[in-house]
Amino acid sequence: MMDYVVQTNGLTKTVKGITLVSNVNLHIKKGEIYGFLGQNGAGKTTIMKMLTGLLIPSKGEILLFGKKLTETNKSGLKRVGSIIEYPIFFEHLTAMENLELHCEYLGYYDKKAITQALELVHLKGIEDKVVKDFSLGMKQRLGIVRAIITKPELIILDEPTNGLDPIGIKDMRDLIRMLNKEYGITFLLSSHILGEIEQIVDRVGVIQNGKLVNEVSLAEIRKQRADYIEIVTPDADRTAYLLEHELRISNMKIVGDRRVRIYDVTQSQSEITKILILHDIEIEEIQKHTSTLEDYFYRQIHGGEIIV
Amino acid sequence: MFKLMELEWRKLKQKMVISEMIIYLGILMFLPVFFIKMVMADFGQNYSVVIQLIVSIQLGFVLFGASLINQVFIEEYKNKTISLSFGYPISRKKLVMAKILFISLAVFLCTLVSFVLTGLATYLIDQVFDIINGQPTAADFAAYFSKMIVHSFITALISLIPLFFFGIWKRATIPTVICAIFLMQFQNFSSLINITLDPALVNAVLCLLGFVSVYLSIKMIDKVGDI
Repeated sequence: MMDYVVQTNGLTKTVKGITLVSNVNLHIKKGEIYGFLGQNGAGKTTIMKMLTGLLIPSKGEILLFGKKLTETNKSGLKRVGSIIEYPIFFEHLTAMENLELHCEYLGYYDKKAITQALELVHLKGIEDKVVKDFSLGMKQRLGIVRAIITKPELIILDEPTNGLDPIGIKDMRDLIRMLNKEYGITFLLSSHILGEIEQIVDRVGVIQNGKLVNEVSLAEIRKQRADYIEIVTPDADRTAYLLEHELRISNMKIVGDRRVRIYDVTQSQSEITKILILHDIEIEEIQKHTSTLEDYFYRQIHGGEIIV
Repeated sequence: MFKLMELEWRKLKQKMVISEMIIYLGILMFLPVFFIKMVMADFGQNYSVVIQLIVSIQLGFVLFGASLINQVFIEEYKNKTISLSFGYPISRKKLVMAKILFISLAVFLCTLVSFVLTGLATYLIDQVFDIINGQPTAADFAAYFSKMIVHSFITALISLIPLFFFGIWKRATIPTVICAIFLMQFQNFSSLINITLDPALVNAVLCLLGFVSVYLSIKMIDKVGDI
């Protein structure tokens, strides 16, 4: 049996008759970085809230480290660190007081761990400052400190780069990678910036209207990538005919009435251009496209068709 | 559980709570004497009447209870800091129980201290300015001591009446405070509209309501306690 850190079976959340999350069967493997993809309001945060005990599921079950998470047995949460939506603190307390409170609730009494975690996130020297004086970026970093302080095996981060400047975003990415590689910590991340997710995740789960549409590894997406050369021309039919008969290209399709896509990207663009010009075909544009995670996401969301 | 109660205290704006406590203790300490001297001299006819007056005045701590409900529950919901607690490997019921025990213990102890201070202040002022007829008897001391314990407990329980509906369900500060004011003035209101109620019966009903509120708060937290 696969070693899943998180597994959900038929996870459902209904509030006042509205289904926010429906029948989600999630599988997060030990040691992987798993990313949630989904539009705003798709249900990513609701799922994360249920996984961290903030919301109680209406139906279905959550298995954390193989053990069922219930209101009467939340022991799995001892091994989880998280930031959901935005980092919340007792604003009138200092950073250190907040971190100590967190450790006390988890029964974790290693004072050095706080200092180490602060150093890791470059937040030394702020221990005695009151949190209400922190910028959003600093709160985000402090939230990360709190999430990693007790050395959890799973970290759940909802929009972890919110409020961070570009350097902060890079630092965050490096930190996640480092914690994953060096300490084997499993991550569940969500971000509305797909490029950001693409750079660090191993697998993605696509959430649409509260449903988990697909779970797929990034390697799989890369394999499926439909890189192509696209020609925009007013004479798409004749272009396709010429490409087939002159250059023996068969792996192509006409999209709309002005675009021809050639999926055999080994074809030389100059050769294609030469043939088309020789036959008086007007070329408005010829370009090589590399599909991204964003394209995959759009294909998933819009029923397998890339919106052109 | 004591650890969780201690953590509740550490999360509070302690200076504010202590200041509030001092203000309550300070005002209630001199209120019986002020009442006898300035409002109704009848209360000074003997020490057993003064004891009744002190007992009814100590209900003021129901308002302190409302303030604690506000800080321990409502503010935590409004600032979403309650989500931090819910994310720990501790059941919501246990967390709520710790919060309730913290509030009730705080109200109980403050009322107890207030009873002692008010009793001492009233006695000492009476020794200097002679505002109460006669001297307290041994029976008065015994009655005062037993009422001090019982009524501190009653006050703590009554202070929890607004908890479930206004504190956890509606999460509304002003109704919580208004409810507390109504509860502490309930006996006065009833006499104003010429309804004579047995104080013991009123206390019993209010205690029952407090108990029901506590029960529902713990029982229903999984249903109405989502953030």
